[in-house]
Amino acid sequence: MPERVVEVVPEDGLHARPASKFVETANEYDSEVKVGPEDGDLVNAASMLAVTGLGVSGGEKVRISAEGDDAEAALDALEEVLSTPEDEL
Amino acid sequence: MTERRLGGVGVTPLSGVGDVVWYAPDAELDDPPAPEDVDAEAETTRFEEARTTAREELQLERERTAERVGEDEAAVFDAHVQFLDDPQITDGVEEKIAEGLPAEHAVQRTFDRFVEQFEGMEGRMAERADDLRDVRDRLVRVLAGGERVNLAELPEGSVVFAERLTPSDTAQLDPERVAGFVTVTGGRTSHAAIFARSLALPAVVGVGEELYDVEDGETVAVDGTDGVVVVDPDESTREAAVDGDDVTVRHDPVSTADGVEIEVAGNVGTRADLAPAADRGADGIGLFRTEFLFLDRQSPPDEQEQYEAYVEALETFPEGRVVVRTLDVGGDKPIDYLDLPEEENPFLGERGIRRSLSPDADLFETQLRALLRAAAHDTGGDLAVMLPLVSTVDEVVAARERLELFADDLEREGIEYAVPEFGVMVETPAAAFMAADLAEEVDFFSIGTNDLAQYVMAAERGNERVADLGDYRQPAVLRAIRATVDAAEGTDVWVGMCGEMAGDPELTELLLGLGLDELSMSAVTVPQVKQAVTETNTEAARKLADSALSASTKDEVEQVLTQNTQS
Repeated sequence: MPERVVEVVPEDGLHARPASKFVETANEYDSEVKVGPEDGDLVNAASMLAVTGLGVSGGEKVRISAEGDDAEAALDALEEVLSTPEDEL
Repeated sequence: MTERRLGGVGVTPLSGVGDVVWYAPDAELDDPPAPEDVDAEAETTRFEEARTTAREELQLERERTAERVGEDEAAVFDAHVQFLDDPQITDGVEEKIAEGLPAEHAVQRTFDRFVEQFEGMEGRMAERADDLRDVRDRLVRVLAGGERVNLAELPEGSVVFAERLTPSDTAQLDPERVAGFVTVTGGRTSHAAIFARSLALPAVVGVGEELYDVEDGETVAVDGTDGVVVVDPDESTREAAVDGDDVTVRHDPVSTADGVEIEVAGNVGTRADLAPAADRGADGIGLFRTEFLFLDRQSPPDEQEQYEAYVEALETFPEGRVVVRTLDVGGDKPIDYLDLPEEENPFLGERGIRRSLSPDADLFETQLRALLRAAAHDTGGDLAVMLPLVSTVDEVVAARERLELFADDLEREGIEYAVPEFGVMVETPAAAFMAADLAEEVDFFSIGTNDLAQYVMAAERGNERVADLGDYRQPAVLRAIRATVDAAEGTDVWVGMCGEMAGDPELTELLLGLGLDELSMSAVTVPQVKQAVTETNTEAARKLADSALSASTKDEVEQVLTQNTQS
């Protein structure tokens, strides 16, 4: 199953707008997408509750994984969201 | 039908009659029926339909907020939609329906589980609990068939009933359509009370649980003087309520009986306060509290937005003076983007000018630039800038240097500006003691009696146990006022007052006797104070002030005042 470790660039981390954008993006793909700490359990990336519940701050690294036909495309899109500063989202 | 009367705390000397509109009615649910009486399929459909309706509402509110406030603030509604569609929520609700709960109970219990979870976390995540509660209440309301009350589009003559009103609720209110409001909770200093006074609306707060017995659409008379709400008022009660406010509004400047002109101005927070202040006859604005421009949003207002707000105030009072107080916040105010430190005693901490010089130097620059630009706006009136919580001469010198520096910047950039009048709030004992030295640095003083009383008496505002100590009739407070006025005597520095004391018409004579040149207050009492000014004779007022200053207890001060009224 493809997965990547990505640094969270938005200062706010996975909260408010970046989290919103992240969940929205995860929902655009058919693959089952998950996110979580680098060495911890992953949660459903399509769930706002689950994603904000992780409490990820800016500068931390997260692991994202995807399973399905468009897995690579989904990971590309999510990596882009995580790498974009908040004011450019 | 007989009248029913409910008692509370009256917060404005006004009364009015209108029809009740409950804002955010209590969403408490009845006990659920037995599981075998619940049609799970029908309940699932109801839940789906409610989500659709809620999503449409959110979309609309998002657009309105983006238009009125900005894209950043509108983004919170995106998060709400995502909670609405969250698989953990939808699965949870469907599970509970399958177990035999009606949709509204299933929603309530599912959300409550997550609310609790988020409440237990820190910082940003605890805030999500508020978002979840909002989404929960919206769904429950839609399921219960409740109409959303839109505060911006109330029917004319509405009396708004609410458990409490927050600044974001009142920001939406169209004062033209509101005949008054009544809240279950709150006291004289609650947000609802301050709001009612600045908009000059009849209001009663703190009525208690029995208010819930009054239903939407019932006619009520609101008596803000005695703190009474009359349900189904009879003809005579109605007439009395409508005619209750019989004071004459004077739009011209007033003078004492012996011809000394006194400026009577209004205190404002939001743009919505401007028109009521003008309607009640204020000569200008003696205190524009700019923190309302900064509250309830995700990022600070930029220079242009502030410039427009200050210009709007100037245009509302084309002949008058508008005194703008620079940002006055500290650890007690929830402004996320400022990252305010948690302090054990925020009222003695880093607040007001202390924050503006550093760490909020960038916000201070934006605000001073906006003020310098607004001062050039030609309406015939004058703009003045005022620093909050000054305690040293150094602070004033540093702030003035910045003002001059930013004026030079604007000059270089070729942007039109003018240097506004420059003054300080006198609200710390230090400022009162140092008034003579401060007078050399400023154009005016404005005495903020609420904080001055709090700091002089070391008695916390809003703490009922020490309310008697924190009263502005305490001789120590009067002497601090006199010290400030004396320090300005013989200089060009004018002295105003912008605390609650200034709006008490029973004290107008005393204040003029103490030597104040300007009084600024909530819009509602402007006419009463103007009336009191015209009845004052300066010589007699001075004698009254001398007697009050020689008093050694608050009781004696009150005796002096009572004897004066009776003579």
